[in-house]
Amino acid sequence: MSEPRVIGAYLAVLAAELPAPIAEELADGLADTYQSYLRQGLAPDQAAKSAVAEFGDPHVIAAAFARVNPARRGARRLLLTGPVVGGCWAAVLITGRAWAWPIPLPGRIGFGLVLLTVIGLLAAAALGTRYRLAARAGIAGCAGIAAIDAIAITGVMLASPSVTLVMMGAWRPARRGSGSACRPCVPS
Amino acid sequence: MRAEELKGHLDAVLLAALEDGPRHGYAVIEALRHSTGGRLDLPTGTIYPALRRLEQAGLITGSWSVVGGRRRREYRLTAAGRRALSGRRADWREFAATVSAALEGRGCPNPA
Repeated sequence: MSEPRVIGAYLAVLAAELPAPIAEELADGLADTYQSYLRQGLAPDQAAKSAVAEFGDPHVIAAAFARVNPARRGARRLLLTGPVVGGCWAAVLITGRAWAWPIPLPGRIGFGLVLLTVIGLLAAAALGTRYRLAARAGIAGCAGIAAIDAIAITGVMLASPSVTLVMMGAWRPARRGSGSACRPCVPS
Repeated sequence: MRAEELKGHLDAVLLAALEDGPRHGYAVIEALRHSTGGRLDLPTGTIYPALRRLEQAGLITGSWSVVGGRRRREYRLTAAGRRALSGRRADWREFAATVSAALEGRGCPNPA
């Protein structure tokens, strides 16, 4: 049985804002609601309007799903742990007198811009009320974090091998489980 | 009863609706209507994000099946969900007894 246009329009709003499996689950629930009103004797158009009204504002539903988006939770965790990791890096860079390393100014500025962009993406994912946008921002932010780690570690290895040895020394005890405050700075 | 009045208790109510066995979203709503005599007036769409949140918390688990040509997601309580429901029930009984005692001006049945 084909469903009235009002249901199709409602589902189109949900499909535009939410991943396919979630939209599919909601479509199933809305179809059950519609069938229930038909069984109560309502005409198809009235049953569709009642089902849509009972379901509630699709934008409110999409926003509620955005609040339970795993990307949002992941971005919040990264933002919360970011200062600790940043502190570790600051300790490494200060110890190695990073200001004296032969890194050209454009490289320093570029790294700073990438860092700010990643923080902005994670903040957008953590605070976003649009599921798809928050998910994309979260994925891009996580990829950016990985890229920043790779760039920073490569830069340290090239600019100051002695600091790399210190970092490796800090990393090894952490691998054995004896603990190290700087473990998050180095990928496992 | 409106959704805002249920704030803070929706999770426990949903867990209770799944206590007797697995249900899909609409069946959860029907179960709540049945158990409350139709007094629970929730926008149906709000149930689904709440179920997803409970699933992420490990209190329920969801699985897909095909019914009447439509894909349907069913939820069931996990062991952690049963423990959480038991705890929420105990909390609610204590809360209700305390507030009832305060509103009706009689002594608390279980003083601290």
